[in-house]
Amino acid sequence: MKQNIHEYLAEFEDIPGTRVYTAARARKGYWINQFAMSLMKAENRTRFKADEKAYLDEWPISDEAKEALLARDYNRLLDLGGNVYFLSKLFSTDGLSFAEAVSTMTDMSFPEYQAMMAKGGRSPEGNRSIKGGY
Amino acid sequence: MARITAGVGSSHVPLLGVAVDQGKTGDDYFGPIFKGYEWTRQWERDTAKPDVVILVYNDHASAFDANIIPTFAIGCGEHYKPADEGWGPRNVPDVAGHADLGWHIAQSLILDDFDMTIINEMDVDHGLTVPLSMMFGTPDKWPAKVVPLAVNVVTYPVPSGNRCWALGEAIARAVESFPEDLNVQIWGTGGMSHQLQGPRAGLLNREWDNMFLDMLVGDSDAVRHIPHIEYLRETGSEGIEMVMWLVMRGALGKQTKCLHRHYHIPCSNTAIGHIVLEPVT
Repeated sequence: MKQNIHEYLAEFEDIPGTRVYTAARARKGYWINQFAMSLMKAENRTRFKADEKAYLDEWPISDEAKEALLARDYNRLLDLGGNVYFLSKLFSTDGLSFAEAVSTMTDMSFPEYQAMMAKGGRSPEGNRSIKGGY
Repeated sequence: MARITAGVGSSHVPLLGVAVDQGKTGDDYFGPIFKGYEWTRQWERDTAKPDVVILVYNDHASAFDANIIPTFAIGCGEHYKPADEGWGPRNVPDVAGHADLGWHIAQSLILDDFDMTIINEMDVDHGLTVPLSMMFGTPDKWPAKVVPLAVNVVTYPVPSGNRCWALGEAIARAVESFPEDLNVQIWGTGGMSHQLQGPRAGLLNREWDNMFLDMLVGDSDAVRHIPHIEYLRETGSEGIEMVMWLVMRGALGKQTKCLHRHYHIPCSNTAIGHIVLEPVT
């Protein structure tokens, strides 16, 4: 049962359209996630909404990540180490439902995404492995 | 003596809490989901009547931030407030803890080689309050005390299914050595298939989820050996929450009987699964 950590992590890179929140990503995105976490307090949400850029400048976040946060570019934020449970504090600050925010990471509009979910969701068929194609 | 009398598995999608809080549980979208919990609500109220629920769930960046990441953490406090997850806290009753049982389990687990993190004070998010709403409805006060047991299923590596099962076994031993006569349930929450991130978001897998539910019933322990990569490929990046159901299953002993089962697709981004199990002795 015990697995080598390198082999364990390498398998994660074989899943299509998925960024598994590994320790490496958690390290990279630490301050993005801590910034998002700060939005759990009502007074911080108010300050952020009043001047997003100024609020972000209080955090040791890279310019690239600040840009992605201002643009709500969630796929880019995942690449920069953001995690969806932390980023969800930004969804709710924006008044977006989880599903609507999630749909922005796919190639679908929100109504298209909702229609797909109502029909049973995205099939795992062909979506399990990049190398295997199954 | 305290004893574990039943196990409950359930998804804990935040939108279910919204449906309860906004009175939408009977509408076209939510009706079929909540209908599948009616049996359980009645059973909990009229038959099962637990004194305490050991509620296995994951914190969604509410009580724990990115700073401290406990793999297994147990709540030993007297009470917990619903967390503000960015919308303001849910308007549900505060959660009463069972500090005596919590500390007893924590101490027993540590002696049993499970190096638990102990929590005295925390707010509890939808991972914990949504299952309470699903199983108990909307009372003024929750009818059972709760020992929260938080599992890291966010930052990898998360604990293996095998380790979760073994933790459940150790929890059962700990409960059995608590001197007070208590009717204790254990709930495993989260899942089922869902992916909340990236271009593959929206993945659901009815067939795999139902295979998983099948595997919780009876005397097989094969389910504990499913590797993380299988959950990830088959059930989406957040389907990994299902390892928390294995803490519940492990605590029920060698064999289980299914009292009730429910499955529905979709709720928001997620497949809803629910099962009620009884240990067979």
